[in-house]
Amino acid sequence: MAPSGVIRPSMGAVIESCRAAQLGGAPLRLATRAPTAARPSHLTSQRAAAISTTASLLKRHKYEGARKTRDNNKHRGESAVRRTGPRWRSSVDSEPLPKPVPRDEVPPVETDPNHGLWDFFFDRKTVAQPPAADAAHGRAWMVEELRHKSWDDLHRLWWVCVKERNRIATATWERNKSKLGYGDVEATDRDRQVRLTMRGIKHTLTERFNAWEDARKLAEADPEINLSGAGNGTIYTPAEYLEEETFDETEALAAEESEEKTATEAEPAAASKATATATLDPAELPASSKSEGAAPRL
Amino acid sequence: MQPTRILQGMRYRKLRLTTKDVNKGFYKGTGTGTIGRHTKHGGYVIDWTKVRTYVCPPLADFKLTPFVTKNTQKVYGQYSDAQGPRSPALYLSRWKAENGLD
Repeated sequence: MAPSGVIRPSMGAVIESCRAAQLGGAPLRLATRAPTAARPSHLTSQRAAAISTTASLLKRHKYEGARKTRDNNKHRGESAVRRTGPRWRSSVDSEPLPKPVPRDEVPPVETDPNHGLWDFFFDRKTVAQPPAADAAHGRAWMVEELRHKSWDDLHRLWWVCVKERNRIATATWERNKSKLGYGDVEATDRDRQVRLTMRGIKHTLTERFNAWEDARKLAEADPEINLSGAGNGTIYTPAEYLEEETFDETEALAAEESEEKTATEAEPAAASKATATATLDPAELPASSKSEGAAPRL
Repeated sequence: MQPTRILQGMRYRKLRLTTKDVNKGFYKGTGTGTIGRHTKHGGYVIDWTKVRTYVCPPLADFKLTPFVTKNTQKVYGQYSDAQGPRSPALYLSRWKAENGLD
């Protein structure tokens, strides 16, 4: 059977070429044409097969009496034992797989140097500062020192404390993550001083508010202070001024004029209070200067 | 509320109060407040007027730090009044001294 198997394709080719020669009408010499004609015909049959592969694969059941309707089982005939493979062509992308870029060739990540999250770190280079640097801090603010500060100063100092505590917490978290095993004592001490300052700020503001509440009640009984808003809107008239009024009318008028002037000047001054305090440098203010919060909100 | 006999004494005082220590109606919470309300369908509607917004003042030119140098001496206030810095009379006199316009 072996020789027939070898011969069969070549014989088929010979027959096919003969048929083509008969159709074309050109005489052919069998002995010379047969081997040359065999190859192209074989190739063309392969090509034709390649084109129609899908159809033949899709239709498994090609035997006599095969079903004509569609099979509901998509996986019928698939067998791992007989190594049939899947019934359908799997879709494989022709794109080549990406290759990982070496670490030193990866472009650096662009970050905003002014981003607010940088405030969570003591340093741009290190995640946590060493314990010696953590321990290098002063004492907390005394309440008496804070009493001389304005509302704006205390407000801003509070936020400075908040940011400091954020930094300490971030460093502590990093130390715990790395399991360094040191620096907790210094960080805790530092944090405690910041919290003491924050406690002092709360104490000062509460005390100031309570004093203001009682001072307002006291002002209602004060003859020098007029809270009703009557007159030209002047709240405070010093007692010396009242005495002078009885003695000299002209002087009193002049004083009244100046008082009015100051009163009118005070209106825009009060309006632009926030902006003025924002431009002022609080660190350069003397400790005993008039504080915004201390100013009674009468 | 009367704690049980075994819990009476210093030991119980150190325990923090829970809902099991008191009668009903006690809401412990976390001191955070609400930001909206629950709907009857189980959802939650955020009321943006109740959502807290914390505005940090500009700190660029602010030079104070949370710490004071240890070289400075601690300052304690000298007050003639028994009420000390809490005195409303002191507050009012200071207000008068600092032009009294507000």
